[in-house]
Amino acid sequence: MINAADYFHTEWAAMSLHDWIGTIITVTVFILMIGAYVVVLDPKRKNELEAQRHIPLDEGRLEKGEK
Amino acid sequence: MGTTQVKYDFEVVKWFSVMAVVYLVVGTLIGVYIASELAWPFLNFDIPQISFGRLRPLHTNAVIFAFGGCTLMATAFYSVQRTGSTSLWSNKMAWLTFWGWNLVIVSAVITLPLGLTQSKEYAELEWPIDILIAAVWLMFSFNFMMTVAKRKTSHIYVSNWFFMGMMVMITYLHVVNSLAIPVSLFKSYSVFSGVQDAMIQWWWGHNAVGFYLTAGFLGIMYYFVPKQTGRPIFSYRLSVLHFWTLMFGYVWLGAHHLQYTALPDWTGSLGAAVSLAMIIPSWGGAMNGMMTLSGAWDKLRTDYILRFMVVSLAFYAMSTFEGPVMAVKTVNALSHYTDWTIGHVHSGALGWVVMISAGAIYHMVTRLWNTEMFSAKLVNLHFWMATVGAVIYVTAMWVSGIMQGLMWRDYDEFGTLSYTFAESVAAMHPYYVMRAVGGLIFFSGAVVMLFNVLMTIRSTSPASSMRAIPVTP
Repeated sequence: MINAADYFHTEWAAMSLHDWIGTIITVTVFILMIGAYVVVLDPKRKNELEAQRHIPLDEGRLEKGEK
Repeated sequence: MGTTQVKYDFEVVKWFSVMAVVYLVVGTLIGVYIASELAWPFLNFDIPQISFGRLRPLHTNAVIFAFGGCTLMATAFYSVQRTGSTSLWSNKMAWLTFWGWNLVIVSAVITLPLGLTQSKEYAELEWPIDILIAAVWLMFSFNFMMTVAKRKTSHIYVSNWFFMGMMVMITYLHVVNSLAIPVSLFKSYSVFSGVQDAMIQWWWGHNAVGFYLTAGFLGIMYYFVPKQTGRPIFSYRLSVLHFWTLMFGYVWLGAHHLQYTALPDWTGSLGAAVSLAMIIPSWGGAMNGMMTLSGAWDKLRTDYILRFMVVSLAFYAMSTFEGPVMAVKTVNALSHYTDWTIGHVHSGALGWVVMISAGAIYHMVTRLWNTEMFSAKLVNLHFWMATVGAVIYVTAMWVSGIMQGLMWRDYDEFGTLSYTFAESVAAMHPYYVMRAVGGLIFFSGAVVMLFNVLMTIRSTSPASSMRAIPVTP
């Protein structure tokens, strides 16, 4: 029987510099990914983002200086 | 009411496009020859310069860096101008990039058959050429990013994000992986050794696939599929998620190439876990491309260029499912070191990379030279040759790979191996012949494409070429 507390137990004092660098990068990337999902899937941004999908087809309009 | 002329720098794009097709022919020709050497070893002729060991890196460098690089540079320089309604930041730098990149390719053609190599897979070229690659790549990247910066539109279209992601990551990967101590003009030793060397090698190796052969060519897909279908991408939000998930996720995968080695066990498990997670964004992207055809599927009947793009997306979806499955340790125990890996790589390379590239190049040729293709029938013929050739190649390698894996792990009742290694090699012969045939068909398709492109260019007058887009307000 695996005890969850034992499974996730970490000897923090034994963490090397490389361990800390790896841990911080991993946690930061995870948080940034969550942030990306929240920003992109926010219903309030839907129209703003989806409006950009016409860019390749609107080159004539864009070339006239419209944004 | 006047006419606004937006001047684009397309001459360099034309040259990159034509050279991409030339290098496709050269790269696949070498591939067919070395595949034939494996089927009929006498083709080595005891000449070291044309032996499999020396021509194989020349093949991979020709198709990845010569063909793939020229395609990426052509499409990136083309689409960044079109989506930003601006010319290149520096046309001269783009030309310098063109000649510099071709100098890299010529250097590879000379040094690799001579046996001058760092012995790092997909990074074989010696240190002076590595420095040249870094300089040319930085010129390409800087010029692209400065063109993005001077765009006349407010938003940076998603294809440009994919191109920039590739540029940043490949710079980082190439420089770190190529760190070496030179001992002479053409000999150097990696600064990494042992298991660290293996880890760095596959951190580069898989990310070359992830950021160069995937992210870069997704940039192509997100611009050229909507252009060819005449419809906007199915979901822009999905494309943004696809981009960020790919950027965050891909860098973790390299260790899945080193299962059951001296590398710490958890690194392989992490690589496999993230590989499986990557199915989600990859399939999201493939679906996004395919759903762009919603309501326009009938175009596939008549638009042969679009066929290349749709089939490329099917291969992309298939490869990005197969790869993660092969990363899982239990499957990897069977598949690793076998021809299954070669089949997987080629379903991605022939099916995804070449197909999307061919579609994009055909599209650009008709726009850059302001004409129709010399022969639509030849485009269709190329499509079928590429599809049939790729399927034969990949199927042969799947069968031979799984057979190899099963033969190597088979034991008799006394616990000894049932087959010698030589017996497994002999069993591969029919599949190696089949692979060479599939490759030959694929190569012949590339020759058809080169002929069609050259005849298209020849049949147009210089005046009809697209140097500027007239816009009537």
